[in-house]
Amino acid sequence: MQMNRKPISELRTLLSAVSEHGDKHLMEVEADLQQIVFLLNEAIEKLVSSFSQVNALVEQQQALLVDLDAQGKLTQAEAASLNRCKLDIGNEINAVVTGMQFQDMTNQLLQRNINRVNGLKDLLQALAEHGHEMDADKEHEDISRFLEDIHHNLHTGSHALSGNLRKVVGQKDLTSGDIDLF
Amino acid sequence: MAKTILAVDDSGSLRQMVAFSLKAAGYDVVQAVDGQDGLNKAKEKTVDLVLTDQNMPIMDGLTLIKNLRGLGSYQKIPILMLTTESSDEMKAKGKAAGANGWLVKPFDPKRLIEVVQKVIGS
Repeated sequence: MQMNRKPISELRTLLSAVSEHGDKHLMEVEADLQQIVFLLNEAIEKLVSSFSQVNALVEQQQALLVDLDAQGKLTQAEAASLNRCKLDIGNEINAVVTGMQFQDMTNQLLQRNINRVNGLKDLLQALAEHGHEMDADKEHEDISRFLEDIHHNLHTGSHALSGNLRKVVGQKDLTSGDIDLF
Repeated sequence: MAKTILAVDDSGSLRQMVAFSLKAAGYDVVQAVDGQDGLNKAKEKTVDLVLTDQNMPIMDGLTLIKNLRGLGSYQKIPILMLTTESSDEMKAKGKAAGANGWLVKPFDPKRLIEVVQKVIGS
């Protein structure tokens, strides 16, 4: 009787250990993801603030140079160079504005992963918390039914989790997206 | 008088980038942090264009559009979606809800302004 040497209590201990180990690792994953979210938020705030300052200062500088040009204090070559710089700065600013939208997308992906980790933690918890009382005389059939129940619960929980985590960010790079006017 | 655009997005950095781009082109920008906030601000003052994200807490973009189209003052105001979502299914839902256009993030400021100018003029 192989099953008599591996009683239900051992199976329960095993499942609880799997749940505990899994939960411990998932907590670490969640903590790291939260830290990444925090650091990215802080980084983007500083970047946006500095970008706005730099842009305002460049505009002031451009206005001063335009004044000098209007007063005839710049040569024709210098004025042409100033115009080229203005165009180049405008193009670079556009590129920065496009690039700085990374945080919106990465944040959505990170939140999706945090939600998935939390869902996995709930599924693992279901392994440790089961209320099956089993009769020692019918242990084999009861364990079999118990495992079927766990399999069913995990499948249902996993399906529900996937349904709640629709992928909304498919972008692989920061190339500007399509535009459709209806 | 400058035209006013309502920019609705739960991402602060995205709202700032939208506002920065549109203000540079001469538009006034009102910002809202989610669909409900957007609806409240739209009711306070009728704007010339609504630019909204889709996935936001409290109220998403499609629900916002449906609510706005239910208001008499917003039946003909252009509404554009600006979202990470790009599936044809979502675009069809946006169109059915009353959106006039769909822009997939990230946006290029120059192209955004071209679209806005095409929809509401300078």
